[in-house]
Amino acid sequence: MEQTRPHQNADLLRENDGLRKKHAAAMQYIRRKVDQLLTVMGTSPLRPEELDDNTLIELDPISIISDSFMQVLHHLKETNEQLRVAHEEITAIFDSAGMGILVIDRDMRILALNRKIKEQFGIDRKITDGMCCRDLLCKKDVEAECPARKAIESGASVERVMDLNGLHFDVVATPIRDKSGIITQVVLVYMDLTERIRAQEDLRRSEERYRDLFENSTDLIQVLNADGTIRYVNQAWRESLGYGPDEVASMSIFDIIHPDCKDCGPEFKSVVCGHKGGRFETLFLTKARETIIVEGNVSPMMEHGAFVGTRGIFRDITLRKQAEIAVIAEREQLAVTLRSIGDGVITTDISSNVVLINKVAEHLTGWTQDAARGMNIREVFSIKSEKTGEDTACPIECVLRTGAPCELEESAVLIARDGRRHLITDSVAPIRDKDSVVTGAVLVFRDITDRKRLEDRIIKSEKIESLGVLAGGIAHDFNNLLNTIIANIDIAARFDRPDSEAQKSLARAQKASTKAKELTQQLLTFSKGGAPVKKLAAIADLIRDTADFGTRGTNVRCDYALPEDLWSAEIDEGQISQVIQNLVLNAVQAMPQGGTISISARNIEVGRAAFTALGEGRYVVIAVRDHGHGIPPENLSRIFEPYFTTKDTGSGLGLATTYSIVKKHDGMIDVESSVGGGTTFTVYLPASLAAAVHTGLPAEPLPRREISGRILVMDDDALVLETAGVLLEMLGYQADFASDGDEALEKYREALRSGASYSAVIMDLTIPGGKGGRSTIRHLLEIDPLAKAIVSSGYSTDAVMANYARHGFAGIVVKPYTIDDLDAELQRVLGNK
Amino acid sequence: METVEIDIRGQLCPATLLVALKEINARASLLRRGAVKLCFLIDNRDATGTIPESASNMGYAVNVAKQQEGWYRIEVAARL
Repeated sequence: MEQTRPHQNADLLRENDGLRKKHAAAMQYIRRKVDQLLTVMGTSPLRPEELDDNTLIELDPISIISDSFMQVLHHLKETNEQLRVAHEEITAIFDSAGMGILVIDRDMRILALNRKIKEQFGIDRKITDGMCCRDLLCKKDVEAECPARKAIESGASVERVMDLNGLHFDVVATPIRDKSGIITQVVLVYMDLTERIRAQEDLRRSEERYRDLFENSTDLIQVLNADGTIRYVNQAWRESLGYGPDEVASMSIFDIIHPDCKDCGPEFKSVVCGHKGGRFETLFLTKARETIIVEGNVSPMMEHGAFVGTRGIFRDITLRKQAEIAVIAEREQLAVTLRSIGDGVITTDISSNVVLINKVAEHLTGWTQDAARGMNIREVFSIKSEKTGEDTACPIECVLRTGAPCELEESAVLIARDGRRHLITDSVAPIRDKDSVVTGAVLVFRDITDRKRLEDRIIKSEKIESLGVLAGGIAHDFNNLLNTIIANIDIAARFDRPDSEAQKSLARAQKASTKAKELTQQLLTFSKGGAPVKKLAAIADLIRDTADFGTRGTNVRCDYALPEDLWSAEIDEGQISQVIQNLVLNAVQAMPQGGTISISARNIEVGRAAFTALGEGRYVVIAVRDHGHGIPPENLSRIFEPYFTTKDTGSGLGLATTYSIVKKHDGMIDVESSVGGGTTFTVYLPASLAAAVHTGLPAEPLPRREISGRILVMDDDALVLETAGVLLEMLGYQADFASDGDEALEKYREALRSGASYSAVIMDLTIPGGKGGRSTIRHLLEIDPLAKAIVSSGYSTDAVMANYARHGFAGIVVKPYTIDDLDAELQRVLGNK
Repeated sequence: METVEIDIRGQLCPATLLVALKEINARASLLRRGAVKLCFLIDNRDATGTIPESASNMGYAVNVAKQQEGWYRIEVAARL
């Protein structure tokens, strides 16, 4: 232990105390500075109990904080540098921005503005402090519209579209707050929309144009997705298919493709599915389940190389199709009509080549449509002149050359492919298109073979009839003359001595006169006057009797084929007998070396539609066939003409009379002949259903009695009257005369009044230009119902002559009559009183 | 990057802050280079305010994560 002095101790104690105080003050100082630094660092001061002084010294907080400050300062420096760069960046951005930027304070005074906004608003003057944005930019005093004001009021960004300085702007005003949150500035960004709006407007207009095209197109336009659902369709599409705009959104193309469309179904599906595009026709089904036919095309739509759907444009061609169908139907109908026409029809093109040939033409030419098509008309339609047999000019060529309708001059003969010949008439007309240009010709022709034959027959029949009238007229007059000649020969013979030389002459004259009489009778029969007196008769017997009689004494015999059930006919037996006789005579003469005549008869029934000269009904047909030399064709058509004969001894009246008789029986006669092959005459007579009645034997002539009385003779021929007078006187009668009916009636009335009435009146049936017996008899019977009138005429077969009693006559004398004929009839009439 | 964990639980602020700053200062260049990251474990609540503010002023990135046991984990690293 160290010893210390007291005064030293006191000093030391004081010194220690002073040192302690200094140390404490120093520590205090350190602690204060540390606390100050800690406060600067942003933390609370040290608490004394936290660190004792030694630990504090050891920790050296000042050094720590100093080091930390170094780092803080370093960091601040870095931050300042960054801020400077940032500021420059912002300034660069501010000036180079594509938008106008304006910074203002709360009082709208301009703080900053960039270059762009100067351009936008054409600002070239210097911006001075305190300048208000309103004066420079919007030049408006409408506070409500001001986005800056709105931003200040609302405290949030405000966007507004404004028209400023002739431009459209999108203005965004953003408030800037200081760190205490008070809005001190507003940043306004002006985006010039003018170009964009113009572009949008252009786009809108362009879209409108395309929309107009799209919507107002009359074609159906559709855009489909890849799966066939509808993306959009135009108005025509909706209207055509009957869907509303709202309905199509949920539809698919498969809703409108017609299920029946076999052709287009898979095809269309493959198109819809984008496998192929192209033009085609398909059927669509409307909402109302109606089918429309459309034609159009579909093409795939690609986006970035991938198939996304199809676009299609269609046109409703239903009406056009219907029209086409109608045209086809009409063409079909025309074709059917053409084929059904009863005439032959051939059409040709401009080069005379056959285009069409109808059924009748096929039959007549022997060429089928297929064979004839494209052939020259001359090959298919080969015609020759009927008269000369030469080829005739083709009427088609004539039409194509002249452009005017042509006709054959007369009928021509068409030579069919197989050589058949048809007599035809034709007419040809040009075919013109809608511009009247000749594009071909149509030939219409008709087979007139049958008609021509019929016409020939009618012409022949008319010719024969007119000849008949002529012959009848001559015969009538001739008969009257003959009457006088015969009667006077008779009278002369009676007055002369029986053994005189004159008697021989008279006998020869009488013989000739008798022949003349027969000839006249034949002529009269042939002529009009010879109406048949028809009775129901069994024809077979009549044929056999007449034919046997006709062949008697010849080397010809008859072979009969007459059926038992042959129908009867209403005929004039005498006339039909004459017909058979004439035909048999003709046959006998055709076979000078002898032979067989085949005579057959049969029943036929003629239908309504039969193309013959016969009317509808039942007929008995008689055929007389010889095996003689035949008749040459040039004569065949003339054999029924009167006075046509090839025989030296023939009268030329036999077949003419036959023809006339058959005609008057409402029948028909036909002849077929070939030279060397014989001749067949066929007679058609209308049949009757009634059975024939055999007529009884004629009554025995009455014995001659002496009768006298007054006889009135009426005739227009003075010679006839005179002769009759002589004959009547010779027979013991008193004769009186009248030249016509009126005179006769007058005389009869007078005789009645005077009481010396006539015993009988002999009246000529017809008096040219006056009243004949036919009409006088009625008046005569009115005057005297008991009057006895005898009709006299050359027309022995006239209807009145045939049925004289029915017409009121008591008797008949056929001119020319002999004295015996007259006597017999007067005896009969007067004797039967 | 290396993470250096410094447990200063049980110390009071401002000593906690001083210890933290001392550790940061000692590794300032490593921290700035991004070579090291400091992770302070503290239980003084005041320090959760002072350490991050100081470190932030010094230019570091600071992340404070409260742990369930009632202490904190403060990570200090270079700013990205």
